[in-house]
Parts: sequence; structure tokens; C-alpha cells
Amino acid sequence: MNNSAFVLMLAASMVAATPIALAALGELLAERSGVLNLGVEGMMLIGAVVAFQTGTKTGNLWVALLVGSLAGAALSAVHAVLTITLRASQIVTGLSLTIFGTGLATFVGKSIEGMPLAVDFRPTPWGPLADLPVIGPVLFKQDPIVYATIVLGFVIAFYLRRTRTGLSLRSVGESPATADSMGIPVALFRYIHVLLGGLLAGAAGAYLVLGQVPSWSQESTTGGLGWIALALVVFASWQPVRLLLGAFLFGFSRQLNFFLQGQGVAVPAELLSMLPYLLTIIVLVVWGSRDLRRRVGAPDALGIAYVRDER
Amino acid sequence: MNLRIRLERRMHQRWWYSLLAPTSAIVAALCVGAVFLAVKGFDPVAVYRALFEASFTSLYGITDSLSVATPLIMTGLAAGIAFRMNLFNIGAEGQLYAGAIAGSWAGIALGKNLPPVLAVTAVLVLSVLGGMLFALPVAAFKAYLGTNEIITSLMLTFVGLYLMRFLIYGSTSFWRDPAVTNFPQGKKIANAAWLPLFGSYRTGWGLVLVVLVAFAVWALVKYTKVGYDMSVVGSSPAAARYAGIPSKRVVLGALLLSGGLGGLAGGVEVASRAHALDPNGLALGLGFSGIVVAALARYHPLGIIVVAVFLGGLRNAGAALQSMPGQRVPAEVSLMLQGAILLFAIGAEIFVRYRLHLVRRPAVTK
Repeated sequence: MNNSAFVLMLAASMVAATPIALAALGELLAERSGVLNLGVEGMMLIGAVVAFQTGTKTGNLWVALLVGSLAGAALSAVHAVLTITLRASQIVTGLSLTIFGTGLATFVGKSIEGMPLAVDFRPTPWGPLADLPVIGPVLFKQDPIVYATIVLGFVIAFYLRRTRTGLSLRSVGESPATADSMGIPVALFRYIHVLLGGLLAGAAGAYLVLGQVPSWSQESTTGGLGWIALALVVFASWQPVRLLLGAFLFGFSRQLNFFLQGQGVAVPAELLSMLPYLLTIIVLVVWGSRDLRRRVGAPDALGIAYVRDER
Repeated sequence: MNLRIRLERRMHQRWWYSLLAPTSAIVAALCVGAVFLAVKGFDPVAVYRALFEASFTSLYGITDSLSVATPLIMTGLAAGIAFRMNLFNIGAEGQLYAGAIAGSWAGIALGKNLPPVLAVTAVLVLSVLGGMLFALPVAAFKAYLGTNEIITSLMLTFVGLYLMRFLIYGSTSFWRDPAVTNFPQGKKIANAAWLPLFGSYRTGWGLVLVVLVAFAVWALVKYTKVGYDMSVVGSSPAAARYAGIPSKRVVLGALLLSGGLGGLAGGVEVASRAHALDPNGLALGLGFSGIVVAALARYHPLGIIVVAVFLGGLRNAGAALQSMPGQRVPAEVSLMLQGAILLFAIGAEIFVRYRLHLVRRPAVTK
């Protein structure tokens, strides 16, 4: 039964969910500090292309993952300087970052387009646990990054809810003026979390080539996953654990398409691809209405530059 | 490290600052691009010369650049009209698709039976309506529920993208050409519904139309009561309430207008260039680039024309680069340069508006 198409699809959904979750967790950190970064797609592409080249040169998966993540962080540093120190519009800067990242990644990646990558992350079965019906292949036969991402989601949830720094972070995102008056270094918090966001987006991109499809193509490597990650943050109403569940749902909806084709059910792929975006709008409209926003909504200061002298 | 940077708003902006800022942004971006080009083994000077010659030296080059600039002007206006009110409709991309869907429907269904002027008008009017319809959820949720328009408009962009792909690749819809079986394509709109080009050049009446719309938007913003209401609601919702301006209706109207302009961008693309619903040829990021065009022009409708022509030239040169003799430079160089120029220009903008001070942080006594 563990080889049935449905179980295999569930297992594949975990893999499909991982890069979405990684990038979205990073974006969640940045947004919790009050900075919206629409450059996720660009950072992921850069992370992917750099990880591919590092992987080819060194043959070491972990070095490739690290260098890809750092490349994402480097790109997010541009966003941080422009929006935090120089107070530029977060929307315009983020979109420009995606344009620049896409162009740079495609230019750098032109010479490796279509080439295979020799190394990739392999699923490691957990001994007999991997043979359990259904949950064996889904939970106990994945690659290390899948587990790392789940752990990371819970760590971030703990960080936000149970640590002093996490509380400070939330206050920076909700009311920077108040945080500032409490002696919390607003700009420093924003810098760190924007950079962490870039690091995770880079890691997500790296995982795409190191764990999912071991080749590079600008068209299909990210295929708009960066935008889905942005949607996921909203869909999960800025909560890390909900984000993990949402990532599985989004990953599932991407796999459903292949599954249904295999079963001979003709549901147009395009309509299934719309689902994450439609669901996000519905969640936003239903839960994001004014009365509920205080409990589940966006950080209050999201998108607004903080200027001490002008408050 | 007790130094920190302080920004101080400039009281007087010297006129030459607004020229110096973009110029230095372009120079800085070209330097960054040169590093990447050199690393990849290309001669930056030769590449830049080819870029410039491809887009700005011959009449064919210039008119090609203008044809790329045409939709950028339109999406720039769409973003600009909303952004200047602090309404962040970032979905011009999706509204462009919706406009193209509605406009190409008119071109196919109505185009045959109408005289040319009416057929073109039908395409354009329908495309405006399509864009508005697509912006309606964004506008209504924002105005009446306070839902964040950034997210809804961004999400709808992808709904629009997949809808467009569905109509051509995923179904045998009205838009799909039944005669072509190997690779699905859109049905051609009737010849009467084409916006004519100038002679053998690639630009034509679409550009004229778009420039006229830019002037109309400029006049609306500057000289009408509607424009005045919009700027009051945008800059101070409290003042608007005090003055009895119906803020919700103004927000709704502004976002619908923005959507309509985005839709018109799609209509103009269909009528003057694509001539069919072409998912690949329309999904070029024109809507997203339009936002940046608008921002660099500081949301001024006429400034948008200038910025769009420059960026249009850059985008157009990409294709020309690929055929450069000797060294095959990938077209993406122009996209990379475009991104770099945008980022530097955003940075430079700050130096125009603010004065930078390095101040020593006073010793804190608690």
C-alpha cells in the first residue's frame, strides 16, 4: 500500500512544501519586523543558481546550500539598506529586487542551463519506521532538509511566543515607536530579520536544485514559488505553525495535478494552480476584516519605514 | 561605533539634483553590470555600445524601443494613479491580462462586423472594463472591509495569469485557435480591430493613444475636483472626512480607474502587437515594471512617459544583444541592468529628498 499513487503523492507533497515553507518562514520573520520584501522570487532564483554552481564545483551539498543561502542574504541586504536606512518604498524596492535577481540569475545561469547536477539530497529512511503504512513514506522517509524545515517552523514559533527577543521583534513590527521608547534597537532588529529572510529564501532556492530537480532553468526552477511563499505568509496569518500546515496544503495542491492526471481525471492544471492564490484571498477577506485583525492580522507597522524624528 | 546616519528633509531641492540622481544611478548600475560582464568574460564597453546602438541610434531602433515603452507607459499610469493616493495596487500585471482577455474577445467576436474605428474602440473599451472588473474585488474589499490591497491585487495577478493560460493551453475555449493543433495559440482578432502601425515601423497609433491618456490623467489629477478629492483622501483621510469627501467612494473609484488603465495596457498590446490572446507574449512582467516606472517618475503622469521610453529602450536592446557578432551576450543582461538601475535610482532618490548627516550618538545617561 505504501507504493500506491496516493501515498507517493502525499510523500511528494512534503518535498514540494519544503521550499515554499522555507522561503515563507523567512518572509514571515522579515514581515514580523515590519518589512515587506517582495523580492522573494529574485532571492530564490539567485540562491538556486549559486547553489547549483557551488555544488558542481565543490561536490558538497552542505557547502552548496550554505553558499546559496548567503547569496539570498546578500540580495536581501540591498533591500534592508534601501528600505530601513534610506526609507525607500518597500514595495517598489522589493519588486526591483525581483527584477534584478531574475535578470542576474538568468545571466549567470545561462551557461549551466539544462546541465545535470551530480549531487543531491536523498531521502533517508528511519529504519523500520519507514515501513509503517502511509505515515512511513510521508514522515519517515524524507531528506534532511524536510525535517530541518519542520523543526525550524517550531523553533520560530517558540522564538516569537516564548522568548524576550521574539517579543521585542513583535513589538518592532506592531509599533516601532513604542519599541524604540523601550530601548529596543528598531533598525537593528529589522536588519537582522530581513537578512534572515534572505538567507531562508536563498536556502529555499538552493533546495530546489539540490533536493527537487537537480538542474537549473530560469523558467521552471522557481516557477513563481516565491510569490506562493508570499501568499502563504498571509494565508497562515503570520503564524509559523499554521504556515507549515499551509505549506503542506499548497504543496499538496501542486502534486494533486500530477496525481489526477495519473488517475485519468482531467482537471486543467491551470485551474489547480490558481487555488493557493484564491484561498489566500478568501482567508484574507474573511479573517482579515477589521474586527478580527487585531488577533490574527498583519503586523501593524508592516510596510512603513520607521523614522524617530517624525513620530 | 557611536556614529549613526541621520536623514534630514531638504527644504529646497535644487533643480539639477533631479537630473544628477538618475544619471548617477545609471552610471553606478553600468559599473556593477560591467563587473558581472567582465567576470563572465564579456567586454563591457562593447556590450554597452551594442545596447545603446540597438535601441537609440537608428530610426528602427528608436521606434522598436517606443513600441516596448507603450505598454509600460500605460501600466506606469495605472500604478501611478493609485500609488500617489497611497493605494498600493500592485496588480497591474493581472489587470493587463484581464484587459487582454476581454479586449481579444471583442476583437474576435465583434471585430468582423464593425468598421475599423468602431472595432478598435470595442477592443479598447472592453479591455478597460476587463481591467476594472478584475480590480473590483481589490477595490471593494479595500474600500468597505479595509482588506490589504497589496496582497489581494498580487494574488489576483496569478489568478489572471492562470486564467489566461487556461483559456489557451488548458481548454478549447473561444479564444483558442481551433486550426492550430500542435502548439495551442490564440485566435487572431479581426484586421479591423488592429491599431495601425506607422509604415514599416513597429510603433504606431497605440503610442499616440497612450500618450494622450497620460495627458488626460495628468489633467484629471491636476485640474479636476475628482483629482483634488483623490489627493486629499490620499494625503489625509481625516481631512477628507472633515471636508465631507466620500472617502470610500473615492478609494473605490481610484482603484477601479487604476485597474481600468491596467486593462487598457492589455487592450493596446492586443490591438497593436499581439493581435491574439497570447499568454507567453503578454506575461512579460510589464505590470510589475510599470510600478517601478511610476515610482521613478515620482508618480507624475508625464514623467512616466520619459522613464518608460528609457526602460523600453533597455528592454528592447536585450534581443538585439543576443545577435551581437563574435560574443553571444544573453538577452538577460538588459534585465539585470534594468534591475540594477532601478535599485540605484531608488537609492539616489533619497539623496534628492534628504540630506545625509553622520551624527555622533550622544552618551546615554540613565
